[in-house]
Amino acid sequence: MKVSSVAAVLLFFLTTLRGSDVVDRARQLEASGDVVSARTALAAAVEQAPGDVDALTEYAALLERYGDGDSRAAYTKAYEAIEKTGNRAKLAPVARELALLDLIAGDRAAALKHIEAYHAAGGTDWPNVAGWKTAEAASEARGVVYVPGPLRSFGRMAAIPVDTSPDELLPALARNVVTNGYQASHSNESLEQTEYLKLVHRYLSQARELEDLAGKDKVIRIESCDSANAGELLRIVGYRMRGGCGSEVVLETVNATRAFLTTDSGFPLAQLEQALRTNRPFTYDFHPSPVRVLYGPDYWLSEKEKQSGEFIDAFLSDPAMCRLYLGLSKLDAETAEELRKTIPMPRLKAYAHVLDFFGTMFEIRNGKAIVPGGARSASSWGELVGVSPDQGAAFFDKLIAKDDGWMASLFDALSRMNGPVKDYLTEPGRMKRFYMAIRGRVTSPGPARPVFRSNADMMLLTTRLRVDANGRAVIPGSLEVWKNLFINHPNGKYDGKLTKSAAGWKDPDDVVEALFALCRKSVENEPLKIFMAVSDVDRFRERPLEAATVDRLVRAYHVYGAQYSIFNDVPTVSDKTIVQFLDETESISRMKDPALRADTAGTMQALVALWQIFCLQGSIAPNQADAALAGVLAPFTQVHHDADLFEAGKAGSVLLLKTAGASDVSAPQERLLDLLAGTANPVDPDAHAQVVQEMNRILEAQRIISLTTLFQLDDHLQSLGHGGKIDPALINRLTSRISEIQLPRSSLTTVEKNAFAFGYWTEKHVETERKLNLRAAVERAGTDPEKIKEVRGLLAPFLRDTLVSYSYAHYAPPGAQVLYTNPLFVRGHDFIGVQGAYHTWKNTELFGTGWPSNGGGRLVGSLSGLPYALAEAEQNFLVPAQTQALIWGDLVPQLILSAKIPRWWDVTPAQMHWVGVHMRYARECMAEAAIDAETRKAFVEALGRHAYPARTLLIERLLESGDVPEAIERVTPAELYFAALRMERQQTNKGEADPVLADIRQLRAKHASEVSERAVSRAFGTPKPTLTNSYRPELLELRTFPTLMGYSSRIMAESWESNTLYWAGLADELHEPPAQLNVLIPVWTEKVVEHIFASHLEDWPALLRSLRQVGDDVRAQAKLQAGEAKAALQ
Amino acid sequence: MTIRSQLVIFASVITLAGGALWLRAQEARGPVFRTRVDLVVLSFTVTDSKNKYITGLKPGDFKILEDGIGEKISTFAEGSNPPVQVNDDGSVRPLLADGTGAPKPGIDPRSDAFVGTNVFVLFDTSNFMYRGFVYAEDAIADFIRGLDRADSIAVYSFSRNLSRASDLTRERGDAIVGLRQAVAGDDTALYNSLLLTLRDASKVPGRKVVIVFSNGPDNASMVAPDDVRAVAEDEGIPIYVISTNEVNKDPISSSVFRRITARTGGKAYWAKTWQKQVEAFESIREDLGNSYTVTYYPAPNPNEGFRKISVEIVSDVGKKYRIHARPGYRPRT
Repeated sequence: MKVSSVAAVLLFFLTTLRGSDVVDRARQLEASGDVVSARTALAAAVEQAPGDVDALTEYAALLERYGDGDSRAAYTKAYEAIEKTGNRAKLAPVARELALLDLIAGDRAAALKHIEAYHAAGGTDWPNVAGWKTAEAASEARGVVYVPGPLRSFGRMAAIPVDTSPDELLPALARNVVTNGYQASHSNESLEQTEYLKLVHRYLSQARELEDLAGKDKVIRIESCDSANAGELLRIVGYRMRGGCGSEVVLETVNATRAFLTTDSGFPLAQLEQALRTNRPFTYDFHPSPVRVLYGPDYWLSEKEKQSGEFIDAFLSDPAMCRLYLGLSKLDAETAEELRKTIPMPRLKAYAHVLDFFGTMFEIRNGKAIVPGGARSASSWGELVGVSPDQGAAFFDKLIAKDDGWMASLFDALSRMNGPVKDYLTEPGRMKRFYMAIRGRVTSPGPARPVFRSNADMMLLTTRLRVDANGRAVIPGSLEVWKNLFINHPNGKYDGKLTKSAAGWKDPDDVVEALFALCRKSVENEPLKIFMAVSDVDRFRERPLEAATVDRLVRAYHVYGAQYSIFNDVPTVSDKTIVQFLDETESISRMKDPALRADTAGTMQALVALWQIFCLQGSIAPNQADAALAGVLAPFTQVHHDADLFEAGKAGSVLLLKTAGASDVSAPQERLLDLLAGTANPVDPDAHAQVVQEMNRILEAQRIISLTTLFQLDDHLQSLGHGGKIDPALINRLTSRISEIQLPRSSLTTVEKNAFAFGYWTEKHVETERKLNLRAAVERAGTDPEKIKEVRGLLAPFLRDTLVSYSYAHYAPPGAQVLYTNPLFVRGHDFIGVQGAYHTWKNTELFGTGWPSNGGGRLVGSLSGLPYALAEAEQNFLVPAQTQALIWGDLVPQLILSAKIPRWWDVTPAQMHWVGVHMRYARECMAEAAIDAETRKAFVEALGRHAYPARTLLIERLLESGDVPEAIERVTPAELYFAALRMERQQTNKGEADPVLADIRQLRAKHASEVSERAVSRAFGTPKPTLTNSYRPELLELRTFPTLMGYSSRIMAESWESNTLYWAGLADELHEPPAQLNVLIPVWTEKVVEHIFASHLEDWPALLRSLRQVGDDVRAQAKLQAGEAKAALQ
Repeated sequence: MTIRSQLVIFASVITLAGGALWLRAQEARGPVFRTRVDLVVLSFTVTDSKNKYITGLKPGDFKILEDGIGEKISTFAEGSNPPVQVNDDGSVRPLLADGTGAPKPGIDPRSDAFVGTNVFVLFDTSNFMYRGFVYAEDAIADFIRGLDRADSIAVYSFSRNLSRASDLTRERGDAIVGLRQAVAGDDTALYNSLLLTLRDASKVPGRKVVIVFSNGPDNASMVAPDDVRAVAEDEGIPIYVISTNEVNKDPISSSVFRRITARTGGKAYWAKTWQKQVEAFESIREDLGNSYTVTYYPAPNPNEGFRKISVEIVSDVGKKYRIHARPGYRPRT
């Protein structure tokens, strides 16, 4: 809101309204969506009348509802004012809120005082609150060892983030040793240390020398340049002085090995050099750093090791010990302790790999193992494992030792789930059957043997399987379709045994069993992928797919499967249009001329991509989507020449524009960009204009010929056939643009060119465009309609590029360095790819990274995976704030994707506030959980549906001890949101006096459809192309996945649903209009990526820290601006 | 010349090379106003037949041609000396006093903002450089210490990503602290990182160069060397490369290094040993200290593609001299 508007509101309130009028008016303003004015009014009112209890309370409640950090202070003022009046009825709710806010702020003493006041004022809940004991967490079971020197130096050498706590250091180190510390020896079958681990050992050795030099007080002190110990220090760090003591002295390397350790570990060499130059003392604190060891060092060391040296050396030298340490540290304290007490260490060590990969969900409570399926499945688990779950540790002892980890992997997959599918899969009969299928006859190698868990397919199956209202598995199409697939297997044999058994399938369970059986295979599991993709297409349709359509989709998957997300994103596409699409793609694939085939595929895919975007953004209504797609596809049947292609491309563009509501198509490019930026009629014109401007800059950098120019040229050419005259200005416009198209970077030498593996047709495409002399062609054609048609065909490659460029511009990641630097990036999209690889319809892939193989990276394949590929191309241009940024790989593209694909033009303030107020409610519940055991139980149960047992138990203990800030710190935004939804549903007896709860209920009453589960999921969900075969944003309430083999870490990254929810809460807190999310979220996301400082792929806390840091920065900036605005008013 | 026209030139020099005026404070929020000025910055050295630098030449000694079209020099500077404004009659006058006493919005009022060179060192810390890492640091540290007082220095390191170890500063100590904090990395994305360095450099007013210290092979960049070279060429930023590899060991990298340095007005060195590296840095430092920098507004030229620049010395004796400059640039569209 502008300063002038705020001033007007202020003036109005100060001059016309008094007391309760202000409160009423503020409520009206808030209800109308003008929260800023409501807040301004109340702030002014309480400033003018500091004793106005109603205004003070209302102001505090408003701040609380929007998560404002000042709400506690505001409540305190209200509390003091009410105290003076002696009004107990008004005091009680304020004291209650204050107690909760005190706890959230970490002020337990104040909380106790306010709880007491609450009771004194008549409050009845929370009886018997006497205070909190300090959290003992797991510390009672830990000992301490010391590593020489500062932890940050050790961390740098061991690739562990500097902010890792002493508790978390050894698990992080163990993980690095397990994954990077050892490799197969070249000479024998043993393992040998990698360079990484050798450096860690060398560092420790150097650090011990420095520690000796530091003496008893553990501080390295060099009094002056010519001190006796200066030379010794320099020897240890591998440097020497060049030049005599004084300003000329320079440190230079004398021992490269030592010097490398010195600099790589962050020793303050520059400061030492400066001290020597200025002849001033140099001091460096070199106290050893304490590191907490689970169960103490004695548990881990043999008698011999205890005698011979340091714990840390023994730890680094034993990868099996590290693996076990890692496995046990993932368990909750209670379970880990039970296992430690019951199972001898050597036995645990032998199965450490299973414990590490599949032990995260193990839970022992009151001595009994918690099993998926609960009481109904307990006896089946007992039979399968051979020990009853009632025996707790003995049950898990047997489980990890069973069949090289297959049963443990099933246990893990089923434990992660909730809901009806879990009920289906844990039905005792089925569970045994599916276990036998996954186990197979030969169990080795088990799923915990490889570097990553190899049960990825099973996790995918259990997560995405559908069951109907009767609790039966949903099989798309009919059973016959799947029998047919397994029996005839059109693209290679799957499994001989399954081929035989398929003939006798009678039940959906038979298909699921076969899918489980295939999950154990380490080869490409195509049937499962087909099943998942087709199930996803079927998932949201009002009428299920017809069996014939499913059969077609199943058979065509091998080549065209990557395109199915189109139908998945828009469930109103009819069976007929799906078949039409497949017919069309097959017909294009049969084209003999590769150049025409590439242009046709590119043009069609680009139009379909536009259609997909318009459908997802709501520009094309669901009931028009099918006709629009069918209309776009229809002209491609007639494409035999370039001229036909241009005609088809033009017709498709016009049809899309008209269907999306652009009545004026005389400037098609401008209208298209308007629509791509969200809508033709934006609610926030500034944000919309910014998005359009960014897209225009990309089109300009790519030297794209405007759609408007192309269509004008085409109209002009057609007019020539009717006797019109050549318009030189129009032709020159195209000629001038063509002259800007650069040669492919052909300045490569012969050697470099020899490294080319593909890309011939792409080069030819660019060359053809560059060589076009339109004027000469037009002159040659004269008025001959046939020849003019040929000339129109010459525009087809340009039209392809223009249409393709819209998708590139729409999905351009923040920064878009590649698009701004490589002017041929769009034109270089290779729709043909490597000969024989059918790249034309495959997912978009990034090729040619690392320049010798190419003139820069390029994208190959269809446009179906374009958003991800663009994000992947851009990720290495982000500049990490920390020098060691390890959480990269697949996570960053997914984060970028989540910031670029969803658009928030249609999000309402009520939806945004719904998310924000729920996260605040969750924090309030956590504060209450610190006071009230019943609330704690309910919250922990809600949290446990999404958080791992170890974290859930830790949070429970923190809440028990009243350490609410620490507990909140460990909960992700998605967990907060989902837990709040659950808690609110349960807390039906809670009164309307709680402003946050009352707000939630009011929102539901007033905006039921906007805040429905589906609507919020659509508004603030994330796209999950690997997991759901769709780009449609969705909230799946997932527990974060681990890294899985076969899918890299994409599925893991897709399971992170917190970012957008967090941004929604932040924007709500700052009273930003929802449309601004379209501009803000990409910027915020870029900052988050740059601030991630993680030690491994599953380091979610690092992402959470970065998210919160960016949030805090944004809040601080907003506060600064608000202060400036206030100053301007005064 | 009126005060007004002085201001125009002052503002133009700020935006050197037609670059955008970088108003960092405005980046946080709200609209950013950018000024486009088609000013070309050209740095070059003059040497005799024995490769000795020729110094002390005046603006009137040079003729600048763009596609054969004569250009009028706006400002002229030698080495680290402050630039001077060149009048129509060839006389010169101090550039920096704007006469109004009030700094313009967004313009750094420091009188020495355009004195010296802004040197960006890009240090390869990927695993290809692992063995020579510490010697490389020593050589770079020596180079930093030996820079002219007027020069500013930024130290960036890279492997898969860029890391801004030390932002542009005149404090040598800060730059060395940044340098010594570099951490060995993994993959090599040399051209991605060079691009980002050029983007940073292009936002800084004044004369700038980028010095790449690497052993060559790139296995992670998305952008091609020649696309990056085009950016340097258009921004008028010479690229110097010190390769720690032998010239014949990696012919592909060697030819690319030659190409991108020659086309941007820089030089390439192959310096496997520490001594050679020190010599290479010494040579670069000499180049910086003995080069001339002129700016000019291009005369009307219909060529929107690559414009060839040539620098000539007017006098007869000058015909024997060799002039080392970037061959041209592509005007902004």
